[in-house]
Amino acid sequence: MTAPHAYLVVDDSPLHHQMYKLIFGRGSLQGSTVYHATNGREGYALFMAHPELTLVLLDLNMPEMNGLEFLERRRADKLHLDVPVVLVTTEGTPDDEARGRAAGAWDYLRKPFQPADVERLAQRVLAASA
Amino acid sequence: MSGDEHVFTELIRDYVAECLPHAEQVTDTFVELERCWSEGIPADELLPGLKGTLHTLKGNSAMMGFAPLQALAHALEDVCARCTSDPGSRTPEAADLLVEGGSLLIDLIRDAAATPPAPEATADFVARVGRLLEAPAAVEPDRRETDRRETDRREGDRRRDDRRGSAGSGDAGSAVRIDFRLLDTMLEIFGESMIDHAALHDAHRRLLHRLGTCPELGDLDRTLVSLDSTMKRFENALMRTRMLPVSTVFGRFTRLVRDVARSEGKRVRLVATGGETLLDKTVLDRLGEPLVHLLTNAIVHGIEPEADRVAAGKPAEASLVLRAAPISDRVVITVSDNGRGLDVARIQAKAEALGLAPAGGDAEQLSNLIFRSGFSTTDQVSTLAGRGVGLDVVAQSIRELGGTIEIRSVPGKGVTFVLGLPLTLAIMKSLIVEVDRERYAVPLSHVVETARVDPAAIHDINRHGVTIWRGHPVAVTDGGVLLGSPSAGEHARSFYLVITSGGRRRVILVDRLIGYQDVVVKGLDPALGRPDVVSGAAILGDGRVACILDPVRILDQRSAA
Repeated sequence: MTAPHAYLVVDDSPLHHQMYKLIFGRGSLQGSTVYHATNGREGYALFMAHPELTLVLLDLNMPEMNGLEFLERRRADKLHLDVPVVLVTTEGTPDDEARGRAAGAWDYLRKPFQPADVERLAQRVLAASA
Repeated sequence: MSGDEHVFTELIRDYVAECLPHAEQVTDTFVELERCWSEGIPADELLPGLKGTLHTLKGNSAMMGFAPLQALAHALEDVCARCTSDPGSRTPEAADLLVEGGSLLIDLIRDAAATPPAPEATADFVARVGRLLEAPAAVEPDRRETDRRETDRREGDRRRDDRRGSAGSGDAGSAVRIDFRLLDTMLEIFGESMIDHAALHDAHRRLLHRLGTCPELGDLDRTLVSLDSTMKRFENALMRTRMLPVSTVFGRFTRLVRDVARSEGKRVRLVATGGETLLDKTVLDRLGEPLVHLLTNAIVHGIEPEADRVAAGKPAEASLVLRAAPISDRVVITVSDNGRGLDVARIQAKAEALGLAPAGGDAEQLSNLIFRSGFSTTDQVSTLAGRGVGLDVVAQSIRELGGTIEIRSVPGKGVTFVLGLPLTLAIMKSLIVEVDRERYAVPLSHVVETARVDPAAIHDINRHGVTIWRGHPVAVTDGGVLLGSPSAGEHARSFYLVITSGGRRRVILVDRLIGYQDVVVKGLDPALGRPDVVSGAAILGDGRVACILDPVRILDQRSAA
């Protein structure tokens, strides 16, 4: 049994939040703490409050503050730079990906994803930080 | 993959809740595109917004494992992409295909919970899109008319934006989604506290009677007054949580109007205003169907064929305007067309044939005859408005909602239906009456007068009690007979009330008038069996259950002494 991990998911789609709840409530991720935010600004506030986060899943296209703006602000604020942030996109163009990486995205997750994709991603993050 | 295929099945309701509005929105835009393109307006600004929404629909459908829906959204994206890059492909055929695909999208998403979409549901459509896109790019259309139409176009945009803006429920960041059943539970609990509240007042009154004024009672007085106001505010806040903007119903009509108009070979533009007006969800849920009938009727019967319109000097494209506005504790909704107006001569002839013609040829009374059961002046049965459903059914369902319906017609200029609706069906202002020791609640909206009975004023004509009320003969019904109470007719009633609906009136005799009370309406278990004239139940201040009388059904009954 590993120590409980905390995740932050930032997405403007209620459907996706329900999905994340399912994914983090079962299988290898069961027992995780998940924080939910429905836009970038709210997500950034939660991000500030939780330096212990294992991973942030950040939607690219959102009202208020989009994923890229989130990352750029984090870099400017030098806030929790060691917490991996994964950009979640629907068909991101190579250009988007490059800009995301430049802004400090740890990796990409393409929508639509399946629970196993998120589980693998979490395992990779944990392995990298071990 | 490890048996993850169905892991999201429990999310289907969330999927439908999120995707259906998206699908409706893109389909509205498709209808708008169809209009623009048929008039030679390129409508470039409408296309980019579609891309993101279709993309979300595609992604969400893929996530749920709904491959046919994913393919459908993808095909629509392809058509939009082609139309964006190649203005020559903005043809009526392309627009038609988009609208059809949008409609399919709506239907499949709506049914997704019950029936996951099958591949054959979209295969044919996707194949047709494939064939359309294989066709060589068309030649740039003639755009001479574009400039002239651009002004109309901007006007249309503005209206659409108004509607969009008003459809939102304020700050999305602070909104939560709640199961409506929870709101019903809260209302029930509130209803119980209303009963305790009334009981407190009762006890206070009895104490005051026994003790007279004393300082301790003064404290109780003040607390009760403060409780009254808190309860009122709580009621308002609770009712507010049950309210939805009428745009949630209006939004469904764009496609309906387009489809009906097309099948009738007419051009009709639907304009909706006041979409932000709030109504209780229970009222809204029952409003869709009557409005569909009124709109369909207007297109089929009210709006003239294009040639007739042009001959009469009217614009070839007819307009259908749907408006909503709150007026004190009611909401008024109007449906107006700019068609030919009612055929007054024909209604007059029919009224005379049925012996219903009003004295003095009162035009308004005459118009309102069309709401009567079986009164129809259209001889040929139209495929759409026909179906045996007439305005009498519309009027009936509006009245069952505790609402009113009126018609205003100007010959040659068009018809307006005016609907007055209660804000809510959940809490009802009622008059509590007693008949043979049982208490009943009568919706106050239908009561026009109450008073002590003057037996001399009731005449027995043809075995029916009749009285003259405000100069009109009105049938009199004994409350006990109406409600089938065993001891009916054993003693004279002391009070009467006059109920009215749709211009009809009835005097009801009762034993006592107890008072006014706001009651929380509860449904009755159909298994219990109930008199026709009872619509539900309410719990009164003393804990007794009272049946709620249904004035519309009472008025529908033939008068019986």
